[in-house]
Amino acid sequence: MKFSYNWIREFVPGLEVDPHSLERLITMKTAECDGIAVSGELLKGAVLARVLEVENIEGQKNVKALVDAGPYGMKTVVCGAANCRAGIITAYVPLGIKTVSGIESDGMLAAADELDINRDHAGILELTADTVLPPVDHAIEIDNKSITHRPDLWGHHGMAREVAAITGHPLRDPADLSLLPPLGSPVQIEIEDFHLCPRYSALVFDNVTVQPSPLWLQARLTAAGLNTKNNIVDLSNYLMAELAQPTHAFDRAKLAGATIFARPAREGESIVALNDETYHLSPANLVIADASGPIAIAGVIGGRDSAISAVTTSIVFESANFNASSVRRTSSALKIRTDASMRFEKAQDPVNTLRALARALELLPILSPGIRLVGGLADNCAELKVPPTISLDLDWLARKLGRVLDPAEVRRILEALQFKVSDDFEVSVPTWRATKDIAMAEDLVEEVGRMIGYDSIEPQPPLVPCAPSFDPPEREFLRGIRRHYAAQGFTEVSNYSFISEEEAKRFGFAPEDHVRVLNPIAEGQELMRTSLLPGIHRNLVENAKHFEDFRLFEVGREIHLSNGEKPIERPHVVAAIYSRHDDGRAGLMELKRVSGGELRPAAAMAWEHPSRAAEVVKHGQVVGRVFELHPNLIDSGRAAVLYLDLTQLQQLGAAATRYQSVRRFPTSSFDLSVICPAREYAATLETAIRGFAGELAEAVEFVTDYQMPDARKSLSFRIVAGAADRTLAGAEVTAIRERIIEGLRGLHYELLV
Amino acid sequence: MQDLVDGALGRINSAATAADLEAVRVDVLGRKGVLSQLSKDMGKLTPDERVARGKFINAAKLALEGAWETLKNRFESEALAARLNSEWLDLTVPAPGVRPGALHPITQIQWEIEDLFRSLGFSVLDGPEVETEHHNFDALNIPQDHPARDMQDTFWLDAGGPLGRFLLRTHTSPVQVRGMEKLQLPLRMIAPGRVFRNESVDASHEHTFYQLEGMMIDKDVSVGNLIYFMKTLLGAIFKRDVTVRLRPGYFPFVEPGFELDIRCLICGGPGCPVCKQSGWVELLPCGLVNPHVLKMSGIDPTKWNGFAFGLGLTRLVMMRYAIDDIRWLQSSDLRFLRQFGQ
Repeated sequence: MKFSYNWIREFVPGLEVDPHSLERLITMKTAECDGIAVSGELLKGAVLARVLEVENIEGQKNVKALVDAGPYGMKTVVCGAANCRAGIITAYVPLGIKTVSGIESDGMLAAADELDINRDHAGILELTADTVLPPVDHAIEIDNKSITHRPDLWGHHGMAREVAAITGHPLRDPADLSLLPPLGSPVQIEIEDFHLCPRYSALVFDNVTVQPSPLWLQARLTAAGLNTKNNIVDLSNYLMAELAQPTHAFDRAKLAGATIFARPAREGESIVALNDETYHLSPANLVIADASGPIAIAGVIGGRDSAISAVTTSIVFESANFNASSVRRTSSALKIRTDASMRFEKAQDPVNTLRALARALELLPILSPGIRLVGGLADNCAELKVPPTISLDLDWLARKLGRVLDPAEVRRILEALQFKVSDDFEVSVPTWRATKDIAMAEDLVEEVGRMIGYDSIEPQPPLVPCAPSFDPPEREFLRGIRRHYAAQGFTEVSNYSFISEEEAKRFGFAPEDHVRVLNPIAEGQELMRTSLLPGIHRNLVENAKHFEDFRLFEVGREIHLSNGEKPIERPHVVAAIYSRHDDGRAGLMELKRVSGGELRPAAAMAWEHPSRAAEVVKHGQVVGRVFELHPNLIDSGRAAVLYLDLTQLQQLGAAATRYQSVRRFPTSSFDLSVICPAREYAATLETAIRGFAGELAEAVEFVTDYQMPDARKSLSFRIVAGAADRTLAGAEVTAIRERIIEGLRGLHYELLV
Repeated sequence: MQDLVDGALGRINSAATAADLEAVRVDVLGRKGVLSQLSKDMGKLTPDERVARGKFINAAKLALEGAWETLKNRFESEALAARLNSEWLDLTVPAPGVRPGALHPITQIQWEIEDLFRSLGFSVLDGPEVETEHHNFDALNIPQDHPARDMQDTFWLDAGGPLGRFLLRTHTSPVQVRGMEKLQLPLRMIAPGRVFRNESVDASHEHTFYQLEGMMIDKDVSVGNLIYFMKTLLGAIFKRDVTVRLRPGYFPFVEPGFELDIRCLICGGPGCPVCKQSGWVELLPCGLVNPHVLKMSGIDPTKWNGFAFGLGLTRLVMMRYAIDDIRWLQSSDLRFLRQFGQ
């Protein structure tokens, strides 16, 4: 929201602080400022000027004008506006001499947008001799997020109250309630549900002239970032920007009947709004209606058919209060946010409706001379809640802030913010702070704290009990995993938790098996990953453009559907080794090594090399897979991939270390070479040998393999035999060897012995 | 006899190679060598002659062995020197094998800060990326239809059940709630992790980034404690003394709520482009925990209170390494990530 510095000053007479200092004060005490900008910079030195003569410049759209620029004297100005003609009074800005269209032009004639009066750039201003040009202003932009909780700060008067409290100046109230007429309006108000519409107030006027607003008012709206349209619509915006109270004017001639209803929309009703869009309404949307149907979406936007137009002569000027949640729900359901809905969803003060009408009564005769009030006030109102009273314990307050406080200072601060404070610090909350903002003593801590300034509080070390902290075991486990892979030469990557449908399908994952993002920000991010593989695949392809060999890993979570319950998140690690030129064996063996498990041959998944895929087995349990990426998924080179389920891995745990006595008797060992088919697994033979060797075989170790010329291969194993309590006799070792040879021959293996 | 010895000595000293020397040794000191010959006729000598001969042989043996050993040592050290010389290596060629890996810079900063908090007695908690609406919003005093929900553009999920229940956490604050449900009072905890906001990605905005949430619940925790703590923490993070200031900030789960700024570390105050000429850099939101939040987690706010804060890990990484485009962090591009290897 943008605040006009001049507007704030109007309510804080005597304010001396310059705009930049004011911005800093507001930032430190109230709300975050996003910046400050001059509004109407060219108004500095601008004066009224009469165009005396206009002369065409040959071959140019521009004209040469002679103007009487009052205090600046006669000036020759080159002007491009179509309406620049002799006799009009316009605004002259002394900018110095420069050559335009080959002629020395001294200063400029200004359009309304150049002076930040409004956004009109169709031509130069056409004014009357009694026009007063508005002064230069500054627009202070406040971060909307920082005033979400402050309905009162959505208007200049609310911000002026803060400024008055900060600087110690008095605050002027622009709303004079004594101007309001007694009840008795030609229109009746019927409210169906006071929860949704706690108050609806209105005044009826006739003899209305719809015309442009005075320049000072237009300039104010422009500085506050609002558009200008005509005096009636501008007034409505002016009241909103001043008092935070949205209002609306209906063309009375276009209303059916003399009763205005605030009611939920009926099924099937629709409305064409001021923005020319048609909205189909449901009973969840509160509307303002006349006898024939909706004339406004309550708190959000007016209807086009009852809007003010050039021929309007009679108006119903309403000022209402609506339930914040209801307005917000309607505004998000219909996808329409307006200055009004933004204010109502912050929970506006029902007391404020009459203040806005009182201010309208003061301004309308200025904006529409001759306007006449018809009858009295219409005001239908729920019983207003009495704002809460909060007991403020000053010792407690001092403990909360961590600072000694002077009771008189606390009182001064609260009273400057227009809280009422009793002798024993019973604090009454003003109505405009009581809707949602302030309800408990903690809220007052903030009021006092920000005004005394947090920089006045000394840092104090907290006194805390000496106790070991709880540390979830998975934290250290996951750290260990990351450390392990980084130490083995893998670089940690980080992928989004999203994947695209296309990526899911490429890996053969059914899209309907995924948690789906209802409002993805971009294409390709509509599913939650059920596997880290699509991400790592993308990384392999991308990095292969820059590197011939690399290793990378990621620790991340798979997210799985859980029958409509909270999705299950399972941490996994994926590690990959890419090599552009080799045959892929080294990478797979390296991943086997770093996995710390055994590999068991397994049928390949769709994305795996059909002859190079295995399960990783640890302590007899499958914890993941090692495979080479299917060549369909990678253009050049080979990628070996390791994928482990970290929950399973962590559950296996590390076996507790227990000392075993060091062997005292020597072992004997012998080697055996077994000839077998080319695709025999070493693990199969090892298991067989172990079985035949019996318990005295301490170890069966693979030594080497050798491809034979006849497409068979020879696998060599070393068998280590020994016993804990003696040295084995030569005959015992020979017996073991014989058993193995006999056994393997029984299985039809040939042995080189 | 002396001639015999002198001749042997001469042969030893004239050996040109280790092989020559070995041949001479066998001839001279071996079983059939010169010394053996000298003692051959010992049995025929008188006792006095035997004593004289014995002395002579011993002296000759010492002389011959000494000469042999000197020469042998010389040949050995010459041979060693020649071998060593031949083994010259160029150690400036790059080491073969696997190049070192690297932890992601987010991981590195996260661990550093976790360790710092652990040293201060904080527990490090983790929470799910998919959250319930309750934990992400309602339990943090942001009910449905609260305008504060606009502060955090949310990814909503279809997880098979009724829509609107599950979302991607927009902050790590839900772990506060989980911590209060899980830990004993008083409590000190942090929760680092990945969070999501539904916004378009550009050089300074990401929909996926990392935060670290912190919370301390105890008795009579004051704003003064919060300031002290933040100052200490940030001093440890930036490894220098930092000046902090609090100003009002609105976050429904704290009351009062603050924005914490630090004195610009680049210019130290006078103003520069990094601090947009203000001398201060907005760093983290914090505040005293809102009593409603305590109550919703079953904690009696008349007995307990505390502070909470949120630290942007992604932001911190970018500050630490002067990274000018946030998109690098989720790029998985090794040209970027390899720069962070230790």
